[in-house]
Amino acid sequence: MCAAKSDHVNENFLLRKIAKAISRVSFHAIFLLLLASCAQTSVRTVLPPIEPVGDVVLVESSEVPTENLQLEVGVLVFDANPLNEDDSLIGDWIFEEIVQNETQYLPYVLRNTLVESNQWGAVRVLPQEDPSVDILVSGTLVKSDGVTLDLQIQAVDSTGREWLNKTYSDVAGDLDYPDFVLSTHNNLIPPNSEDPFKDIYEQIANDLLSIRARLTEEELVNISRVSQMLYAKDLSPETFADFLQQDPDGTLRVSRLLASNDPMLSRVSEMRFRHHLFIDTVDGYYSALYEEMKSIYDLWRLYSYEELLEVQIGAQAINPSDDYGGSGNFLSLTQSYNRYKWSKIYEQEFNALAVGFSRELAPAILELNSRVHGLTGTMDEQYDQWRIILRDLFALETAGQEDLL
Amino acid sequence: MRIISKYERVSFVTDSWVMVLLAMGLSTASVAADLTVLDLDQPIRPNFSGSWEKDFRRSDDWEIELNRTIQQIQREAQLLASQSSGRRFQSSRGNGGNRRGRSNVVDLARLAEFISRQPTITITQNNDEVRVEREGDAALICGIEEGVMESFSSKHGREVCTWEKRQLIFEISLTNSAKILHRFTVSSDNQMLNMVTSISSGNSTPFNLIQVFQRYDAPPDEFNCEQTLSRGIVCSQIRPR
Repeated sequence: MCAAKSDHVNENFLLRKIAKAISRVSFHAIFLLLLASCAQTSVRTVLPPIEPVGDVVLVESSEVPTENLQLEVGVLVFDANPLNEDDSLIGDWIFEEIVQNETQYLPYVLRNTLVESNQWGAVRVLPQEDPSVDILVSGTLVKSDGVTLDLQIQAVDSTGREWLNKTYSDVAGDLDYPDFVLSTHNNLIPPNSEDPFKDIYEQIANDLLSIRARLTEEELVNISRVSQMLYAKDLSPETFADFLQQDPDGTLRVSRLLASNDPMLSRVSEMRFRHHLFIDTVDGYYSALYEEMKSIYDLWRLYSYEELLEVQIGAQAINPSDDYGGSGNFLSLTQSYNRYKWSKIYEQEFNALAVGFSRELAPAILELNSRVHGLTGTMDEQYDQWRIILRDLFALETAGQEDLL
Repeated sequence: MRIISKYERVSFVTDSWVMVLLAMGLSTASVAADLTVLDLDQPIRPNFSGSWEKDFRRSDDWEIELNRTIQQIQREAQLLASQSSGRRFQSSRGNGGNRRGRSNVVDLARLAEFISRQPTITITQNNDEVRVEREGDAALICGIEEGVMESFSSKHGREVCTWEKRQLIFEISLTNSAKILHRFTVSSDNQMLNMVTSISSGNSTPFNLIQVFQRYDAPPDEFNCEQTLSRGIVCSQIRPR
């Protein structure tokens, strides 16, 4: 039975590879076609085509990496290019809302991929830049629909060294979606289904890994030390201002080291530990959002995929020879009007689904923003409040100790 | 007979005014509670919302309108022919022509009839948009803002809309150079809706079809339905008040 399952998996893998190869070859043709069509959830930014990542195998480690390699990674909530007012149609606000939800969901998929690779220390999704992590990954959602995902990814370590600054693209095909028939009742894709764009995340994870492999041990240690001092400086800028120095290439290094038993350093470590507990909790909220959103979002992408296919088929169906005796007679006029009418009805139904998607997600988003007791506002605002509280606490606990440094 | 003193008269008049003002104040307060808050940043638009049924008596019969248009074209053609005495008449408009890419007025009239068959339309309107729902056809949706707005665009055609004084206008450009124009106006008492559909092809004379709709009270919805992604359309029964 296991052998049969393994064969099935291999067959699936082979099919996926073939589909990817085909999708790569026809990528430019599809791109031009889709560019001309109305890609619903796209952020509508016209960019030159990006070569898709193709089929990627995640480089995983079977053993826990050594301490120096265990860099802590923060994945920021993504940005999205604002909707171009000139290009947008009436009712497009709903797709902007979906894009906003995606900016909170997609970073968690990248976070999961990095965790799955077992190559890093703690990996967390963060609402804003954080001075306590070693590597900060930020991203901009360039395009996202059922067929294409384009992400502009930047990764910078605490010293200021840029690891990545690249736009990634992935194209999904039939085999990337689970074997699922859309119906009008109880549509839920199995929760453990693979992400149709998993290759893009695996490529980003592999690229980060290859950059890390190029760094010396000394450079890796420096990243961790700089992170610690950056966090200390964030707590008390006056006290730790001269512990960091900028090199001619713009990167930071630690200029002074505190003794490992220094009380101020242990205070900073304690605060950092508390801060990490907080950002672990924040990451937990993004995890809850991810779990809540996954099945509905997968379904949404499947609808989007089907809709884009429909547009593609509709575009192929336009053939002047189909006209009944010329473009001016009654049959030709009604045919033309009907094509227009049905394309519009289809888009309006798709818009209604988009509204349904946002409506279903609204409670989960609301919960994300209201789960921290005592702090108010959005997750982003709560994060700011927490950092101010820690700074005040640090100032209270270390009152009078700065002079000792 | 009791003579009302000057003082009593003044007092009576004052009291009456107080009562009238009080009554006006109360009625204003109750009206104010019903009024929606006026957003001065938004342009003021006539209210099209409601359920409308076609008044066939007042609406154009497409065949009569077609005959009238043909007669008018013939009259214009005769006039042009007489003016160009002796020279071979060449119509610049080509209404009677059947050249490829243009439609004759009969085809345009038939298309106008084809797309105007709905006996009822439902219009919803809020501070952001107006939505004209027609059975069997896609809804016409327009914003409330100034200027020309693109409401739909695909490989099969493009739709723009705009407001012109008290008129709401939609213009649909199909791929075969046919243009469909819908002009909506509502009467000042909000009881009658006028929809003029104008269809042209190339630079031909447009064929116009006027339809008049009367407001009617549609039975209240028994169900409140919402589109969801995972459960399809979910409806709940509205409790009677």
